[in-house]
Amino acid sequence: MRGAWLVSVAWMTAMAWVDASAEIYPAVGARTSLLTIYSTTDTSVFEAAIRDFQKSNPSIAIQYEELEGTVLYRRFLGELARGTPKADLLLSSAMDLQAKLVNDGYAATHDSPSARTLPAWARWRDQAFGFTFEPAVMVFNVDAFVGRALPQTRAELIDLLRRESLTWRGRVGTYDIANSSVGYLLASQDARQSSEFGALIETMGDSHVRVERRTGALLDLLEKGELAIGYNLLGSYAQTRVASGAPLAIVYPRDYTLVVTRTAVLPASAPNLEAAHRLLDYLLSIRGQRTLADEGGLPAIRNEAAGRQSQRRILDAAVGPLRPVVLGPGLLVYLDAQKKRRFLDSWFGAVDQ
Amino acid sequence: MMRPRTLSLRARLVGMLGLLFLFGTIALLIAAREYGRLAADKSYDRLLAGSALSIAETLSIDNSAIQVDLPYAALDMLSAAPDDRVFYRVYGPDAGTITGYEDLPNWQPPSRRDRGLAFEGPRFFDAQYRGESVRFAVLGREIAEPDLQGWVWVQVGQTRRARDELAQELVLGAVAPIVLMTLLAMAVVIFGISRALRPLQNVGEDLSMRQPEDLRPVVEPVPREIAPLIDAINGFMRRLSLSIESLRAFIGEAAHQMRTPLASLRAQAHLAADDDAEGQRRSLAAVERNAARLSRLLDQLLSDATVMHRSDVRVFESIDLVALIHEAINEGVSHSRKGDVCVSSEADQAPFVGDALLLGEALKNLIDNALKYGGEADEPVQVTLQKVADGYCIAVADRGPGIPVSDRERVFQRFARGESGIAGAGLGLAIVQRAVLRHGGEVRLADRHGGGLEVILHLPRRVEGGDT
Repeated sequence: MRGAWLVSVAWMTAMAWVDASAEIYPAVGARTSLLTIYSTTDTSVFEAAIRDFQKSNPSIAIQYEELEGTVLYRRFLGELARGTPKADLLLSSAMDLQAKLVNDGYAATHDSPSARTLPAWARWRDQAFGFTFEPAVMVFNVDAFVGRALPQTRAELIDLLRRESLTWRGRVGTYDIANSSVGYLLASQDARQSSEFGALIETMGDSHVRVERRTGALLDLLEKGELAIGYNLLGSYAQTRVASGAPLAIVYPRDYTLVVTRTAVLPASAPNLEAAHRLLDYLLSIRGQRTLADEGGLPAIRNEAAGRQSQRRILDAAVGPLRPVVLGPGLLVYLDAQKKRRFLDSWFGAVDQ
Repeated sequence: MMRPRTLSLRARLVGMLGLLFLFGTIALLIAAREYGRLAADKSYDRLLAGSALSIAETLSIDNSAIQVDLPYAALDMLSAAPDDRVFYRVYGPDAGTITGYEDLPNWQPPSRRDRGLAFEGPRFFDAQYRGESVRFAVLGREIAEPDLQGWVWVQVGQTRRARDELAQELVLGAVAPIVLMTLLAMAVVIFGISRALRPLQNVGEDLSMRQPEDLRPVVEPVPREIAPLIDAINGFMRRLSLSIESLRAFIGEAAHQMRTPLASLRAQAHLAADDDAEGQRRSLAAVERNAARLSRLLDQLLSDATVMHRSDVRVFESIDLVALIHEAINEGVSHSRKGDVCVSSEADQAPFVGDALLLGEALKNLIDNALKYGGEADEPVQVTLQKVADGYCIAVADRGPGIPVSDRERVFQRFARGESGIAGAGLGLAIVQRAVLRHGGEVRLADRHGGGLEVILHLPRRVEGGDT
């Protein structure tokens, strides 16, 4: 009896702390532990996977906190510095920040048969694991392009914006890379991969590009027709919209298509490391991958988990080369303080003309 | 009799070789570890230096501030070690961090003079950082702007995981063949020794299967190293065979010698049974004579056996030869004939190191012989002890018939009497010679001045270590 009382006090303390963005999934069975997830993925997208996980782990209650990538990173480090680590599992599309956590020694090691099937680029030091396969795509409002061909490459996009600059003024959108960590990651990778990126940013600047923090916001604007062109958006979210009948078209840039992966890191400081291991193993398992793809629309990184959203379908759809962003120390470069300041300066210098 | 057990040859060889290989392998392992670490460091240090260099290339000065444009390749190239963490820092003339990890362990140039070394290329060092051992490269660039002077340092570090793996691989590559060779060598040794010792086993089987009287030489072919042992065994068997031969001859001769007096004893006893009183007395006298002969023969045989036995063991002690001579006369000469022996000695005492029993037997036999063959004369047997340069001479002289020169070699053999044909067991001089030889001396036979035989024993003082 006394034990139950203590648990309920702890539960209420935990509840009191939870802020508005947190969602609680009570344990299905008798609750024995609480697993806290910090994630950049929309709660609605991830919910199915959590419910499915709880079916086989009924004793684990889950607190899911949706945060922007940089906020997630800072909050985790801040709590650690204060000596009150809360997060058991960090899921972030900001691969660079996750890589930095691993590099700086905050991650616990995880090994499982599922983890070993991951491609080399989506796995680092047995401490960072990519569990989705998400190309960065161009999204167009089909209504705005009636009678026009959709640009298939960055060069064609630049060409289009230059030729009909008045038509597209104010109707181009991309991530606010100062506030969207996945946007920053994609932009920095573009800067590294493409010689045309500078020209593209300038052209988008000339077109009074609109920047947003969240993918969802950009897709909303595109769906409503306020924006006609979205650049470098995460394909998974767009695919879901298309599937639900939005007037959107997805183009995998043919010159190259960046692929990022939502990256899981187990903090060594996790209060409930054991449950975190279990959830990570679930996310990497075929069942978890299939649930993420079918229910959440997040393409599976494992080929065995073929579904509505699978790597194979993306490979079939993309005509150009796919360039996965490699999890590793290279990602630290654009996080360098000087490098980041300079990159942001030049990006916003081009965009805010 | 159980031989003391010693380690088998195989165990010894295998043990020694095993030890050798063990120490060799340990020494090699240490050397290989050092070498592996050096080699791994050398190859990965190049990457680290390349990374630091590529960062240093981008150093520039803008508005009196040092600018670094970290190239993507600078850190990406380090993912050649895929599982290693990477740290970097650029710090300026005032040691303030320009960019990167501010808390990296410092490398301080040992002295101001050494700063010049920065021109020669990057320096490397190991340090603990964030819970792991990290290898660092530091590269210096000198800045000489009007308002900014000094050195800017680029420091790049990488955890040692890939290096240690490479080093381990190198060590394994070096040590595995050696361990393999060691095991092979051990197998060859074990097998080779069994093969090499096979002939010895055959010899053993051959010997153990033999009848006791079979003393033919061993003809089993053996390796050269074992041949001396087999030669020694064969030599020993030859000597044993000779010794057994002579023992047989001796037993035959001794039996023969005893049979004659026994036969005449029986004959005389038989005759006496039917004879008259006078005849019986004569017969009894003959019986007494023959019994005396037999008794003397048995004494000599016993004496010979004693001397033979004593020859095998050394019982040398300090004795007095004068006392020994008197003792020999006391024990060996019947009371009635004591007067027939005369002793003369220059000194009252003659200290000597030797075997009292052997010399006593020799003297008894000599005096007995002298009394027997020369005692009929009026003159007593003369025993003389004389001190000579290297020891003593004992001469026993009688007035008997002497021994012809031609016989003097032969009389030392057992049962070989002189041609003079006087009856006697013929053991006496053989016993004397054996006893004297045992003391490193010699026996000489000479004609006595004025007729008779003189036997001279020359007994040299024992020289320390001059064992015979």
